[in-house]
Amino acid sequence: MKPNRKSTVIWIQGITCNGNSHSFLNYSNMALFAASFEMLYHPLLFTAHTLESLLEKPEAFDFLIVEGAFTKEARYLQRFGRSFPEILEPLANKARFIVCVGSCASFGGMFRLRDPQKISGALFNAKEKGGYWEEKSNVVNIPGCPAHPRWIAETMMALREEKTVLLDECLRPKEIFAYLAHHGCLRNEYFEWKVDCKQLGEKEGCMFYEHGCLGPNTHANCNKILWNDISSKTRAGSPCLGCTEFDFPRRALYETHKNMSLPQTPYGISKRAYYTLAGVAKSFKIERLEKKLIDEDH
Amino acid sequence: MKITKEIIERIEGEAALEVEWEDEKIAFAKLKFFNYRGIEEILRKRPLYDALAFTPRVCGICSHSHALACVRAIEACFEHAQEAVSLSQKARDIREIALNAEKIHNHIKWYFFSVLPELEKIDNPSYRGEAFKKPRWFLAQHAITETLKMGAIFSGQWPHGSFVAPGGVTCAPVSLDVLNARGILEKVIAFCEETLFGFSLEEFTGFDSAVQVMASPSALSWGIDTMIRHEFDRLGRSHDRFLALGDSFLYEGALKSAKTTVLPADIKYVSESLAHTFFENPTEGYTYSKTAMYKKSFFEVGPMARMMVAKEGLIRDFHRRFKDAALTRVTARVVECAHLLVQTKRLLEDLDIHEVSLIPPKRNVHELSAEGVGVVEAPRGSLIHTINVRHGVIEHYDIITPTVWNLGNGERDNLSVVQKALVGLDSLTKTDFIVKSFDVCSVCTTQ
Repeated sequence: MKPNRKSTVIWIQGITCNGNSHSFLNYSNMALFAASFEMLYHPLLFTAHTLESLLEKPEAFDFLIVEGAFTKEARYLQRFGRSFPEILEPLANKARFIVCVGSCASFGGMFRLRDPQKISGALFNAKEKGGYWEEKSNVVNIPGCPAHPRWIAETMMALREEKTVLLDECLRPKEIFAYLAHHGCLRNEYFEWKVDCKQLGEKEGCMFYEHGCLGPNTHANCNKILWNDISSKTRAGSPCLGCTEFDFPRRALYETHKNMSLPQTPYGISKRAYYTLAGVAKSFKIERLEKKLIDEDH
Repeated sequence: MKITKEIIERIEGEAALEVEWEDEKIAFAKLKFFNYRGIEEILRKRPLYDALAFTPRVCGICSHSHALACVRAIEACFEHAQEAVSLSQKARDIREIALNAEKIHNHIKWYFFSVLPELEKIDNPSYRGEAFKKPRWFLAQHAITETLKMGAIFSGQWPHGSFVAPGGVTCAPVSLDVLNARGILEKVIAFCEETLFGFSLEEFTGFDSAVQVMASPSALSWGIDTMIRHEFDRLGRSHDRFLALGDSFLYEGALKSAKTTVLPADIKYVSESLAHTFFENPTEGYTYSKTAMYKKSFFEVGPMARMMVAKEGLIRDFHRRFKDAALTRVTARVVECAHLLVQTKRLLEDLDIHEVSLIPPKRNVHELSAEGVGVVEAPRGSLIHTINVRHGVIEHYDIITPTVWNLGNGERDNLSVVQKALVGLDSLTKTDFIVKSFDVCSVCTTQ
């Protein structure tokens, strides 16, 4: 049901690079968003309220957006002379929904690596349940480094209109994160026939075997909806870094992690099924896939 | 002596400003940045190429610049280990196109989302902002989105694309992709001509007098007029020393200038200091921002510095009239935006997609032990990454960001760039704008 008033939004930051704010500012239907939402405060923009005035007398509002990793340690994060809990708690208590944008707010992300005991996501510390909070019923995670602007804006719109937003075990909206980054990758055929990408910078070959691509193991619809409405990491010839998962960033991101010289299997595919099929596919030499995609001789 | 403490907001984060007053004027100021994320520490002992994925995350607004500084530092490591890395012209051009997209977007975003609202507020204290409200804001937001879409054709995504690898770029666009990019860029140019400059790109980039800019009503001429009304044509002057260590289409080689005298510069004279930081002294320190100096002197970096060393006609005229005041600093960003649009259009028209995208180094990265430096002229100025790698593992990673050059703290007898610009001011409102005239990036300052 569509409410007849604008939903109110307060955007705050934990330990962050501002990447989710800047990603959100790339949303291509911003007028539509603005017709439904009133941004009471955003740290990078000139908004009607200051954070101090909102903290002075917190009133009920609709969406608390949190970007950046969570910490209770004042020496890791202070804003306006306040520790992160002193900013977060009064607002979290008054918010209808808490939306964690980006992998830092969701799982701790890259900045968690500095001190994994004391820096985490809202409800997760990497894959472990229990982050800054042990439990909280109104949290939605929109991971990604950064989160895609459509993931943020459209999830907020769906929540506002009380549409069913199914969440997975990581509290990610399923309509976005049931897909894998692999879905829609232009190099799918090379994956099917196990044709390796010989080197980066070419149109041909799959980056899963040697270049660390995590597309088949990463939940995100990047290659369905595309970044900046036009491309994606894999479409620009760069391996998927698995940035929407709880273990981002893994170690040695540009190398394929192998066991007995075999790569890990794609998400939810048994070793037996995958290696059997891979062995069969690899036993054929498909001439077309060994050649350049665009043959300049003709 | 009176001491006041203020928070400077909306600078990609915030900073605390401690001001010492004498006779109602600022005698000394300290700018304090608290939010350190420890990226240099996180990178220690990690595989070298991980830096390509980690360093863009220093900053949400200049992630491509960090990716580029990182890959150049890695390439320099290979070169120091006697493995020459050569780039195709195509790879060089694509790197520049993606970097330019980031700079163009930054300058539009900064002018419309930061400078104009801050000036509106100074002009009219009851002003409450225009984000998500005024048509002008939506038009600028659309232009930003389009600019980054153009860049993403090559970089895959913005922010945090990882489109570079040692020896080139990862993308291999077809000619139709490039035509698409040209079409998108034309829309951005149209916005800038109509709304920002008030002139065609050709006319505007041919100007060499401040008077010419004022002849047409535009966001820029309104900004200039407003800045003059509030004395920013004489406030915010700093050392009048400029530095541009990275390469650019605007000039040849690394350069510095004292006032209008331009001389070659060399990165070997750059020194980094931890004075006044919590790193050096956890109890006496007061900021996480390091300090960078050139031959032990503070130099300003950024678009004004680039325009000054390039002897750009229009900014040289502003400088002749107003020196390095806030007005010149702000205008230089808009003028640079125009030159970037022209250059990017030219690069897209001339891009030869038939060249190779990447010539990877032959040596196995796991056998690489060396040191390398990568320099990039990022939106806010010279960005330096220095890597020490041993057997393919990072031993030491050091980052000097543009905002460290401009916003670090100096001493009473050797004022930093921002301190020099603040001393003598008599109002906090003006102080706030002068700090912001540097296009501060709080997250970069402390990484």
